[in-house]
This record gives sequence, C-alpha cells and structure tokens, in this order.
Amino acid sequence: MNWTQSMRQRVSEKLTWDHLLPSEQPVYVSSLVYSFGVFTLSSLVICVASGIIMSAYGPTWYQDSAAGSLLRGVHFWSVQAFFFFMTMHLVGQFFMGSWREGRALTWVIGAVSFGISVVEAFTGYLSRGDFFSQWNQVQSKDAFNGAGIDGFLNILNNGQVYGLHIAVLPVILIGLVGWHLIAVRSKGVVPPYQARVLTKEGRHS
Amino acid sequence: MKPIRFSRDTLQFPQKDFDMVKEGVVSLGILTVLIVAAAAIWGAPFRPAVTNQQAALQNPIGIGQEVLGDLDGQGGIASYGPPYNNGWHGQAQSVQSFLGFSPQTWWGTPYQVNTAQADVLTPLQMLATASHDSALTAALHTYKTASYTQQQAWTTAMTNALGKATVRNGQVLLPSGHYGPVALMVNDEINLAKSGLLSGALDRETNGGVYRWNVQNDLLFLQGQVLPNIANNINMAGGQWGINHDEQAYPGPWWLTPYTFLYQIPPWSTGATGDQTAAYAMGLLFVLLILVPWIPGLNKLPKLLPVHRAIWRDWYRHLEKTNACGQCPLRASCTKEFSGHTIDQQQPTEMVPSCYQPDATFAYNMNDGLRSPSMMPLRTSTD
Repeated sequence: MNWTQSMRQRVSEKLTWDHLLPSEQPVYVSSLVYSFGVFTLSSLVICVASGIIMSAYGPTWYQDSAAGSLLRGVHFWSVQAFFFFMTMHLVGQFFMGSWREGRALTWVIGAVSFGISVVEAFTGYLSRGDFFSQWNQVQSKDAFNGAGIDGFLNILNNGQVYGLHIAVLPVILIGLVGWHLIAVRSKGVVPPYQARVLTKEGRHS
Repeated sequence: MKPIRFSRDTLQFPQKDFDMVKEGVVSLGILTVLIVAAAAIWGAPFRPAVTNQQAALQNPIGIGQEVLGDLDGQGGIASYGPPYNNGWHGQAQSVQSFLGFSPQTWWGTPYQVNTAQADVLTPLQMLATASHDSALTAALHTYKTASYTQQQAWTTAMTNALGKATVRNGQVLLPSGHYGPVALMVNDEINLAKSGLLSGALDRETNGGVYRWNVQNDLLFLQGQVLPNIANNINMAGGQWGINHDEQAYPGPWWLTPYTFLYQIPPWSTGATGDQTAAYAMGLLFVLLILVPWIPGLNKLPKLLPVHRAIWRDWYRHLEKTNACGQCPLRASCTKEFSGHTIDQQQPTEMVPSCYQPDATFAYNMNDGLRSPSMMPLRTSTD
C-alpha cells in the first residue's frame, strides 16, 4: 500500500473545500449557540497574540511597565472571555447532543482541550509573579504532590512552570483545537434530534 | 466489504448562504475591541509579591518563629516528607495515602530540602563568612557540635521565649533564659532577612548558577506563616474558596469552582488526604465529561431535556408544520439516532431522510439567501 496515495485520497475525500471553508450551511444552524465556538476561538487568538508579546518582552516588563500592564490586562480579560465562551460552547453542545452520528471523537477532543486549558490557565496565574502566584504555588503544591505529579512537576520551580505555560501547553492546546476544528468541519455541525410527529388524533408526539 | 455506519450528511440538508471567513474576522474584531477596552478601563489584578524582607520588617517575631520551626523540625516543611525530604528524623507528616495508595512517595525526594540546613545553617554560614562575624561562626559551631537533646532544649526554650518576646525599635527583646547559641542565630537571621539578602541566599540553593528559575526554598520559607497570614486577611485561604477568586473585585479562575467546592465540604475539608482525594475526584469527573457520549442515560439526557427544541425552534416549527418526520422513511432509525444503521457499499440504500428534501426548503422561509440543495447522491460516513 502506498501511504502517500492513501493519505491523499483520504484527505481529499474527508476534507473538501465544502467541509473546510463552507460558503453555505444547513438551515437548521440558526441560533446564538453556534456563535460560542467562534467566540471561543477568537478569544484564544487574542490570548495567544497577547501572550507572545508578553513573553517576547519578559516578565519584568509585563509586571512593571505601563505598556506591559496593559498587555497583561488584555491577556487577563482574553482568558476570562475564552473560558466564558468555551463553557457556554460546551454547555450548548451538550444540550444539542453534539456527539451523535459519528461525532464522539469531536466531543472527546473538545473536552480534553477544556482540561488542558485549565492547566494552562493555572500555570499562567502562577506566572504573574505576584502574591497570588506565590500563594497558589504553595497551596497547590500539596495537591500536585499528593496526586503523585511531584515526580514530574515541581510547581515551585518558576522556570518549569513558565516553560509549560508559554510553550508546552500552548502547543498541545493549539494542536487539539486545530484537530477539533477539522473534526467539526469534516462531519459538519450535528443535525437536530428528530422532530415531533403528528398522531392520528392530530397531536404532536 | 465492511458495511459503513450511516449518518446524515450535513451538506445534503437544505442550505443557506454562509461566509465563514467573514464570521471569523468580525468575531475576532469585536472581541479584540471589547477585550482591549476592558483592559484599558479595568486593568488586571496584581498584588506585589511578598518578600522575606517585608515580613522581617513588619513582624520580626514571626520570622524568628519560622526560623525556629525550620531548625527544630516543628515547621511544616521540616517534617513534610516526599518530594522534599523523608520527614524529621524519619517522621513524615504530610504524606497523603488513600487506602494505601500513595503516589506522592513513588518518586523519592527529587526536590530535597533539609530545612535546618537550607533555611538556617547555610544562610547564616554565608552571613558569617561575608561579614567576618566570629561570634556567629562560634555560635554555629556550638550548635552543630551539640547533642540533639541539647539542641532541642535550646530551641524549645527559645520557642517559648519568642511567645513572650516584644519588639522595640525593630529589635526582638527576649526574656532571660538558656538559649545557648540559638538566640544569636535567630536574631542574625532576622537581620539577614531585614537586609533583603535572605531571599538571595535561599534562591541560590535551588539554582546552582546565576539564574533564578527555581524559587522553591524561598517560597517554602514564606509558606510557614507569612503567606497564610496575608491570605487569611484577604479571604484567600483554602477554606475561603481561596484559589477560586482573585484580587479585589476582579473575576478569578471561576472555572475551578467544582474543585474548590470540594475543599468546603467533608471529607475533603477535614481529611488528611483531602488534597489527594480532591485531585482524584476531579480526575474522575473529568473522565466522565470526556466519556459522556458513551455513558448510558447521560448521553440520552439532552434528547429528553427541551433545551434543544429552543435552540432549533425554527427548524422544528417547519418540520412539524409539514409533519416531515412523520413521513420519513428513516424515522425508526432516526429515533435511535441511527444506531446500528449500516449501509452496504455494494448496494447503497436509496432511502433519503425527509429533512434532506428540497420541498422542505421551499416552505422554510425564515432565512434570506436560502437555496435548495443540489441533488447529490446519498453520502455516507465511514466511522
């Protein structure tokens, strides 16, 4: 079997332009709920962009300078927006049963992305370099130690925590979000549950 | 050939115009404006980090008690256990073990801290060397060469004395007693902290170079009394939903609410293994979230709840007006969410769900730019 040919065939069948960048969508897609996904993604873009600028200038810049403080504010509020819209997206997708008809993997990737985001945000709070960081570092060490993660992670080591926050976890998260998007686009948004039908008595059931 | 599982193809439903790129750009633009505005108006929370110097200047007795706890093994980190040490003289106080399961101990002591040595004796030895302080050098020698019983007698007397000590002009005044070399050692370490050099002495222990990545020992020194006292004053202790909220009136990491909630109720709020079991409880809940598509009952819950009918209300209004699902040839399969419905690739089914039908589209007039779908062959999904 030629792996290259096989991959080309599979991708071209699964990911047509109609799937990836649709200029049409099913008529049932007509609710504010559908906006939460794109709002989540937009917030993530702002998180990443502000984070790249902050990491380029370094911690003392975002702690002490006026411009750095503004960027820290942008990063902070983009994280709040990201979690707000991601939570709304998750709740909305639950109520739509969006794992149906071959979309279970999409749900799994999304849920794992949520979990990674929580860890990513926590390492961000620890990278602020203020009292909140100090306090949560010493508080959380017992949980990390007790759960057995101490073999890998010394939560009191700022170098490790900062590296996880600006490189390791973002790469994983962006990879998962990209996979999630491709999964959503390749299957299309989940069709609605069955509508009610008219009984012989003329009622809906 | 393996049969293929059937699922409805979203491209075969009636379609309407959609500009995905424009939606993404507009969304990004709106959120950028809102977020930058929020940052400009409200800024972001920040409470400057606490230093040993501040703590020593404000509460020298507290620093003295911290030093004694580190020296005599009464401090929390002195007797913590893995990953920092094996406890004080073999007695570890902070090892969490749930039904004999204790992964905390699996890795040994990778981040070693002997608090007497790291927090007290080494910084004081550096101070004595730097300042040619013969009295301090002699005191350290006396302490280190004394018996353990003698050391404990000095530190116990000193601990009791600190409880009655007063501060005058920033100096700790002790009642008279037999403290041996410990009184001088404690006093000199308080002065070292006041000078601002104690943090540097502690930080160099976990870094081994000019860089200061690892602030473990500095934070562990502060965590005894200094940080908890401040946290309590601003309602940030664990029992006060600490990790869940932030400075002042800013929103905190509210997404940790389920986790911090556990710390407010038994057994997590009272048990010795609260941290460990809270972590496992959250891990279990997270696995349940991931596995929702396969959990019986939970995966059917959204079908029973009427929320989806509100989300797709226009779609349902039309289908029910035309009784489309009542006439659908795939109605029985659709009721079961097409579970077990497969297609033989050699002889694909000709049955098309009613919701694909273009006549449904023409009656469905709520959207501008609506168009009928092209009459494509029935598509299938291979998962």
